[in-house]
Amino acid sequence: MKSYLLSQNKLLDFVKELSRDGSLYYPEHEDGKTHLVKFDEKSPFTPNFQKIRTAENIKHFFFPSRDTVARFPKDEVKQVPKSYLFGVKNCDLRGIDVYDRVFMGWEPVDPFYRERRDKIFVISADCPEPEDSCFCNILGLNPYGDGISDLNFTEVSNGLLFEAFTKRGEELIKAYKHFFSEAKGEDEKERSALREKAVKKLSSINAKSLKKDLPARVEAADKKKMRDARDECVECHACLHGCPTCYCFLLGDYKKGKDVERVRLWDACYYAAYARVGGGANPRSRLDERFWNRFQCKFNFFHKYENIYACSGCGRCLLGCSAKIDIREILWNL
Amino acid sequence: MEPINPYYPIPVKIKKIIPETPNITTFILDGRPIDFEAGQFAELTIPSIGEAPFTPSSSPHDEDMEFTIMKVGRVTEALFDLKEGELVGVRGPFGKPYPLDDFKGKEVFIVGGGVGFAPLRSLFLALLHDIKAYKKIYIRYGARTPKDIVYKHLIPGWKKIDGVDILLTVDVGDDSWQGRVGVVTVILDKIPVDVKNSPTVVCGPPLMMKFATQRLVEAGFRGENIYLSMEKNMSCGLGKCNHCRVGKFYVCKDGPVLTWHDVKDIEEPFL
Repeated sequence: MKSYLLSQNKLLDFVKELSRDGSLYYPEHEDGKTHLVKFDEKSPFTPNFQKIRTAENIKHFFFPSRDTVARFPKDEVKQVPKSYLFGVKNCDLRGIDVYDRVFMGWEPVDPFYRERRDKIFVISADCPEPEDSCFCNILGLNPYGDGISDLNFTEVSNGLLFEAFTKRGEELIKAYKHFFSEAKGEDEKERSALREKAVKKLSSINAKSLKKDLPARVEAADKKKMRDARDECVECHACLHGCPTCYCFLLGDYKKGKDVERVRLWDACYYAAYARVGGGANPRSRLDERFWNRFQCKFNFFHKYENIYACSGCGRCLLGCSAKIDIREILWNL
Repeated sequence: MEPINPYYPIPVKIKKIIPETPNITTFILDGRPIDFEAGQFAELTIPSIGEAPFTPSSSPHDEDMEFTIMKVGRVTEALFDLKEGELVGVRGPFGKPYPLDDFKGKEVFIVGGGVGFAPLRSLFLALLHDIKAYKKIYIRYGARTPKDIVYKHLIPGWKKIDGVDILLTVDVGDDSWQGRVGVVTVILDKIPVDVKNSPTVVCGPPLMMKFATQRLVEAGFRGENIYLSMEKNMSCGLGKCNHCRVGKFYVCKDGPVLTWHDVKDIEEPFL
């Protein structure tokens, strides 16, 4: 695959030009956390592409937590503006991969998701310094973009080394070719070495892999063990709302003047009323049933249809957990 | 943007409201906003309150779409406050229809309880539409009391149709009740059909579903011929929001009718 080099001194101008075409979001590190911030020509540009994924997941961009999807009685079409995500990590691309399947692969196509996917250009970045909470490797992911995104870059000594995965990624490089120079062998060698180092680090963090028959194990899981594992859970739902692959939602209708607005809201399967029916029956009234159901969904159901787990190994669930429940421990112990 | 927004409910007026029982009412809409096949369901929107899934109770061939609905929760309570001429919204159709082609040439054994007769009526009317194609249609229906029987005004007419056999029972009778008394299984004691090759279709409250299914399995119906309406919490109807997932199925897409063969290994399928 051809690589293109963007030298560090051209990065700001490149980003500036992109941002004139659509809002551009990039990671900044502050007080121990990384956040995606909107590029503003008047503010200092201090990106950090070395740190792991941002604290917030990027699903907001494609599947907002609160999104108007219809108006009643007369519907109205709204436009989504073009934007660029610059420097997101591969674990978050797994989220996009899952959503692509749910919202575009499974009929019918969700027009709102598809429009955002069309309008948002995704440029991923290598993740050279995995941390203890990271476990993308046991989900079969690499600490660098290798598909899904339009472009991926690696920060090497001579600048940012880009690869394109989509046609529009190639076209973007072409359209901005005055910023790029041809990559040299030494840049590519450095990229390989950096990637190897990151992979090694992940292997030392998570030496154990997931069992091959994990879906069957989840299905046959000992409920008692599951109960023990969730004993500390206070049902804050941080694990679910922070998850880049969770796609549960609920439609809510709200009065808007004389009309009604239908809003799609994130939902979470840990809520007690999640599966309750009109008549009051609830197939998952107990927390351990809901806890187990989350694992069923991510590691059995989704795998059955798509042959991938609906988990990215981003670690947001375990860092966000009030009870410090580590999903890896549960999976390894199944 | 797609020309059709799958979240948008088509506005339609309520043409007529027919109370069936103290807490069950049939709402006839002014027209058929969507085409559907028997067994498929729709999401019915009550403006500014929300929507809930219902299977139409009218024939897919009828000009007007009907829903027979029990007042049980937030959405249905708001629906029962609406008057003729007021607006609702309809989205769908969702899910898979009954495989009527597979029923052809066979005896069809329909078992209903309470408001569960609503979707079964749609099926029954679809079968009547082409009645010669089926060997015979059986209906076994149970309600709590004679007052709780739905379609009271229609059943006598249906009983007279050639090729239709209807038996009713109530849990508790009253002075006027001449028929059988007891839960629906009391009219499943004798099943006069070729159980090995006939389809049977069940819809009703969870407990009734559980015991009726048990009885039908004992009687010798094949698991893949026992069609069961699954009641699950649903939101989108599109197989995306995840609410109705049970085992490997999305009830909104793979159902709302699944066979006993599909669900028998799922924990508590009738909860």
